Amino acid sequence: MSMNSFGIFFALLGAVLAALLSGIGSAKGVGMAGQAAAGVCTEDPSKFSKVLILQLLPGTQGIYGLLIAFLTMTQIGVMGGNPDISLVKGLLYFAACLPMIVVGPVSAIHQAKAAVASINMVAKKPEQFGKAMIFPAMVETYAILALLISILAIYGISAIKI
Amino acid sequence: MFMAVLPMKQVAICALKKDRKPILELLQRLGTVQVEDGDLNDEVFSKQDRSEAEALFQKNAQIAAHALDVLNAYVPAESSLAVLKRGRKAVTIEEYNARVQKREQIMGECRKIIALEKEHSETVAAIPKVESQIVALEPWLSYDLPLDCTGTRDTAIFTGTLPGEVTLENFCKKLAEYIPQTEKVDEQIISTSPQQTCIFVVCARSDAAAVEDTLRKMEFAKPPMTSVNPAEAAKGLKQKKEQLSQHVEELEQQIKSCASQRADFEFAVDYFRARAEKYSVISRLSQSRCTFVLKGYTPEKDAKKLKDTLESRFDVIVESTEPTEEEDAPVLLQNNTFAAPVEPVVKSYSLPGKGELDPSVLVACFYYVLFGMMLSDAAYGIIMVVGCALALSKFKDLADGVRKTLKMFFYCGISTTVFGFLFGSFFGDAVNVIATTFFNRPDIKLPALWFEPINRPMKMLAFCFAVGILHLFVGLGAKLYMYIKRGHVLDGICDVVFWYMLVGGAIAYLFSFSSFTSMMSLSYTMPSQAGSVFGWIAIAGAVGILLTAGRDSRNWFKRILKGLYGVYGITGYLSDILSYSRLLALGLATSVIATVFNKMGSMIGNSIPGVIVFIIVFIIGHTMNLAINALGAYVHTNRLQFVEFFGKFYEGGGREFNPFAAHTKYYKFKEEQRL
Repeated sequence: MSMNSFGIFFALLGAVLAALLSGIGSAKGVGMAGQAAAGVCTEDPSKFSKVLILQLLPGTQGIYGLLIAFLTMTQIGVMGGNPDISLVKGLLYFAACLPMIVVGPVSAIHQAKAAVASINMVAKKPEQFGKAMIFPAMVETYAILALLISILAIYGISAIKI
Repeated sequence: MFMAVLPMKQVAICALKKDRKPILELLQRLGTVQVEDGDLNDEVFSKQDRSEAEALFQKNAQIAAHALDVLNAYVPAESSLAVLKRGRKAVTIEEYNARVQKREQIMGECRKIIALEKEHSETVAAIPKVESQIVALEPWLSYDLPLDCTGTRDTAIFTGTLPGEVTLENFCKKLAEYIPQTEKVDEQIISTSPQQTCIFVVCARSDAAAVEDTLRKMEFAKPPMTSVNPAEAAKGLKQKKEQLSQHVEELEQQIKSCASQRADFEFAVDYFRARAEKYSVISRLSQSRCTFVLKGYTPEKDAKKLKDTLESRFDVIVESTEPTEEEDAPVLLQNNTFAAPVEPVVKSYSLPGKGELDPSVLVACFYYVLFGMMLSDAAYGIIMVVGCALALSKFKDLADGVRKTLKMFFYCGISTTVFGFLFGSFFGDAVNVIATTFFNRPDIKLPALWFEPINRPMKMLAFCFAVGILHLFVGLGAKLYMYIKRGHVLDGICDVVFWYMLVGGAIAYLFSFSSFTSMMSLSYTMPSQAGSVFGWIAIAGAVGILLTAGRDSRNWFKRILKGLYGVYGITGYLSDILSYSRLLALGLATSVIATVFNKMGSMIGNSIPGVIVFIIVFIIGHTMNLAINALGAYVHTNRLQFVEFFGKFYEGGGREFNPFAAHTKYYKFKEEQRL
């Protein structure tokens, strides 16, 4: 077995870690926000739709992780095609997944904290919903930037001949 | 009307106190005047505090609402969907007056139904109590004396329970052990169970104390007390339970029979709410012995008709004036059908402050485009368009904000459809997947009218940045417009034109580098001479900012320092532009997740179960994808508008126009002659 057969391993490791860690982060985040949202609904069930939107905000990182995992897996041929890639290329794919692997879960949890605070804000001042939505969305910017770099890197690598 | 914050007039209405009630009721039905606190406070005019009356009406409204809740729990009301379809019921003046006449009677009915409900819940709670009494008597059923019987003149009787299962033999032995001297004791076991043993002891009166003492040592416990024998007592209790259940049913019937009064209850809720609102206004009036003065704001377009209507019916003076600079006039927006739908978005940030323009039109232009780029799937767009159109046509009586929001998503849906076709996405790559899997035609696919972002992400990124730069520049343009409108042309040049030069020049300069254009996958590279011209423009802009950003300071040293900080603001523009990369990321997220679901659905292949699985996965997957990505697109479009766009020119801080009206829930109190 040559070292090159490790290429696919590292590439897949990057893909699954992106989905796995971002998923954990989002699950934790949506859970935290959900507790706060349920608390608000016990007092005032009419705020359900507003707090539900806020609860869902930290959930997008999990989707971004899934997106990166899926893109990587189609590029490296795990979803059908030729899964024969070099060790260097495999490591490059791993590196390309890193922004999502690290930023995804961390931003999800911090976004959840902002979401919890925003849910409390909506509980007291429901008319300020528009502003409450923006605070968690500010955190998400960094997840989006990480996603963007991961996507561009994955596409870039597929064009490199190593 | 293009875009506007409606001009407001300040109105003062002076009238006789005897007309106060009809005038206020008229104003309430017209719903076009926002009443302010009266400022007259001298020996003639003073304010009356009517908050007590207001609280009383609020309470009545709550009682009626409670009665309605009770009724709804027993007799389901129309579904809320049906109510939305139908809208609020209109009431003519005659109907209104007829109901007002019997308002005390309606309130009586409300209190009655609440009392019935209270009795009902108490009765329901009493039933398990009786049941537990019956259960407690069960072990004693074979005992034929009343359980509270303590004996005769010469004998004492002890009935009760001992813990655990005790046989008669053991019990006799134990009793004999403790009190060997007594012989005149008779013991019987009534019933046993693993938990307890029911015993009956008869002894001579003289031994009663010793026996009782002994029994207590054996953890003897008293039975439930009955004055008749247990079997009869149990029968009585069962009868009582029957009666209670019957009573519950009767009460339910009684409550249900009130169903015909639902309309009355609904009317009472609306009527008392409206009256409470009216009394909150009375507290704000300046009143003398025979007259009152009402001050408030009304939109300029309504001022004339308001004056005519009031003056034709009452002895009244209506005066309308321009609000002065210091006064904080409330804000009401009016826009055409294209821009009005985003008014709630603007409102959720903040209404325009004093002298600011209404940004709705600008927001609308970009809102639909940005949303469409983020969701960018033709099928999802069509679903949104159809859904919103259906809701708008079916539901008659939507709140103004909800109607506008639905219209906004209608337009967003159109834009999403357009971008979906431009980027070749219809349920992701569903056309190709279905053709390949079930018809073996991998050549069929929906061609993108422009290009597919997933294949050329850098091109899409360049497009996103271009849209972003346009968005930011329009925001700067709005700032320039406001400076010019206020006559501060010089400020406009310093704060806007220099930035146009710096940011625009720097971006244009980049286009003269082939490394940049090839990275952005553009085919055109600017000649370097033209590039250097733009470079100089950018530098000129930067110098301009350096010299003028600190123009408030007199000290030149401070001024340059502030200028340097001003130029540092270019990093803000960089991050603002980069922020638009979310358009690409969210757009890709929609199409990639759609692709994932299509792929999952088609994994079983072309067979009957394959088709079934495909349909199920397709419906669930795309519903989820649409929901999550529409939410994402909504949130991030708002963010781009609030943070990047409004950050350039808009402050807000206006007060919402909140006219005195009847905010009813069930009925429309019609005014025969609307303004």
